[in-house]
Amino acid sequence: MKRTVTALPYPARPEDVEAALFVPAPFDAEESERTGYSRYSYWRSTVRTFLKSRSSIVLLVLMISFSVFAFAYPLVSNTDPNEVSLELSDWNKRPGPGAGIFGTDGLGRDIWARTWYGTRTSLTLGLVIALFDVGLGMFMGALWGYVRGIDRVMTEIYNVLTNIPRTVVLVLLSYILQPGFWTIVIAMSSTGWISIARFIRNKVLTIRDAEYNVASRCLGTPLSRIITMNILPFLVSIVIMETALTIPYTIGVEVFLGFIGLGLPVKEVSLGNLINLGKNNFMLYPYQLTAPTVVLAVVTISFYIVGNKFADASDPRNHV
Amino acid sequence: MIQEPILSVHNLTVRFGTGRKAFEAVSGVSFDLFEGETLSLVGESGSGKTTIGRAIMRVHPVSTGSIRYRGQEIAAAVGTKDEKLLRQKIQMIFQDPMASLNERAKIDYIVSEGLYNFRLFASEKERRARVENALLEVGLLPEFASRFPHEFSGGQRQRIGIARALVMEPEIIIADEPISALDVSIRAQVINVLNRLKRDKSLSYLFIAHDLSVVRFISDRIAVIHRGHLVELAQAEELFSRPLHPYTRALLSAIPVPDPDAEHNRSLIVYDPSMHRYDSDPPAWSEAYPGHYVLANPAELTTWVANATPEPALSP
Repeated sequence: MKRTVTALPYPARPEDVEAALFVPAPFDAEESERTGYSRYSYWRSTVRTFLKSRSSIVLLVLMISFSVFAFAYPLVSNTDPNEVSLELSDWNKRPGPGAGIFGTDGLGRDIWARTWYGTRTSLTLGLVIALFDVGLGMFMGALWGYVRGIDRVMTEIYNVLTNIPRTVVLVLLSYILQPGFWTIVIAMSSTGWISIARFIRNKVLTIRDAEYNVASRCLGTPLSRIITMNILPFLVSIVIMETALTIPYTIGVEVFLGFIGLGLPVKEVSLGNLINLGKNNFMLYPYQLTAPTVVLAVVTISFYIVGNKFADASDPRNHV
Repeated sequence: MIQEPILSVHNLTVRFGTGRKAFEAVSGVSFDLFEGETLSLVGESGSGKTTIGRAIMRVHPVSTGSIRYRGQEIAAAVGTKDEKLLRQKIQMIFQDPMASLNERAKIDYIVSEGLYNFRLFASEKERRARVENALLEVGLLPEFASRFPHEFSGGQRQRIGIARALVMEPEIIIADEPISALDVSIRAQVINVLNRLKRDKSLSYLFIAHDLSVVRFISDRIAVIHRGHLVELAQAEELFSRPLHPYTRALLSAIPVPDPDAEHNRSLIVYDPSMHRYDSDPPAWSEAYPGHYVLANPAELTTWVANATPEPALSP
């Protein structure tokens, strides 16, 4: 509201000051309750905070384009990643015209095509395992933290599962079961969920006895709704971070298993198998190792950093 | 006037932990709450006030003793139908308005949480109407339903907490230090709302507090609790004018007086529990005057009553 202040004689008399500057306002109880309205929305603020950082935009674009390209590659190309050439001249061709962008390997297979098929397999594996790990870990962790009675049992299970070296479990399961996609999923998820569950349990313990949870119990809110409405919304940032970290970790483990020869069957194309083959020829044809490794590095690093940045952004304390 | 109490607590004991680590937070507390009455529980921090409130809400399990709502035992497990009734009829208001609202839920959900739990509405329209009514009743605007808790001041948040209790149409409200976390300037807001609701809806309050000047202003009766034991219970003015138990006297002597001269000469009484000789002569819950109970052994009771001259109220 604009008000023109008339010039006052100096020194001003009290009654003139009052009349010119102060107008008594009526008291309105309803109006006094009205407060500023921020139209706060959790997800919009999260996205806005995330997009503030330029590096996270670049990495997000990189992450999405690599993932989309890996899944869309079979649609845009007819090259069969398993097509073997019997011509000696087609083998181990260096990248260049007539040899594809990444060259060919020791059997004349196109490494460019194999890299994208491999990325697709590895990403799918990472997503499936992250889904199992985080899904199961979140549910069990929320239960573990909230229900006091199962704490001792779960802690013992945790002690047992985490004290067996993960590599041993992976190697053993790969021997016992047929090497394959689901073998790796089972091997990774059977132990991976518990550490996520423990992390979530610690978080839940700190918010379980908060007064708003006591209030919900006083209102007779069932446990399922206490978990979904009172607890899980506070874990969103943790869940996003765990998922984002599990995907690159899983891809790394797949590569490691492929590297020691226990990963997916050799006939399947995956980043692990590609790097394993590239390793053998590294001294003579280094491009066969570097090409898939660069793609692996870009995918894992972009997932890792985007995940971390998004987890930071989803913490409402950073929504200023 | 002989009246049935709406809530009757008898010999309530709440113990935490087991074996050597066991801690008795509340021991042998008995009191009645009548319809339309405000009974205040006062005592220092850690004296067990909140534990009593939460035991009545059945958040903390009762070790021994009974709690009766309209004559019906509620300390142990109750059936689903009674559960629904009790969760409706006994409501709680919490101490810290910053901690007692779910930060990630809208006011609409927070206020109607209890309605959802027991399907207390026929249609979505009715639910909205009830939420709006509850908000209006505590002096808030209906449009606040679409906002998040962090957009409100402490006093408004506490009134949202009251609306959440009110929407269930309760008969008893347990107010657990509802104003102690609030700024002094907005305490009146909340107290006035509580008082108006009591008048309009004939609610009964169990008011848990440690601020005696506020307690005197709102209570019908006051119970003083010390280390899990009820030490004195009387009508508010009776307790203020004729405190018997040395702990009560110590509490009352600590109230600041808004008169500089009187405040300057105010003498503090310090309560020392070792003054009691309860090993040889255990105390009993005895009626010193009609309706004025005190925890004392016979020897103490005679001296205290002899020393208590009906003096005028401490402050006008």
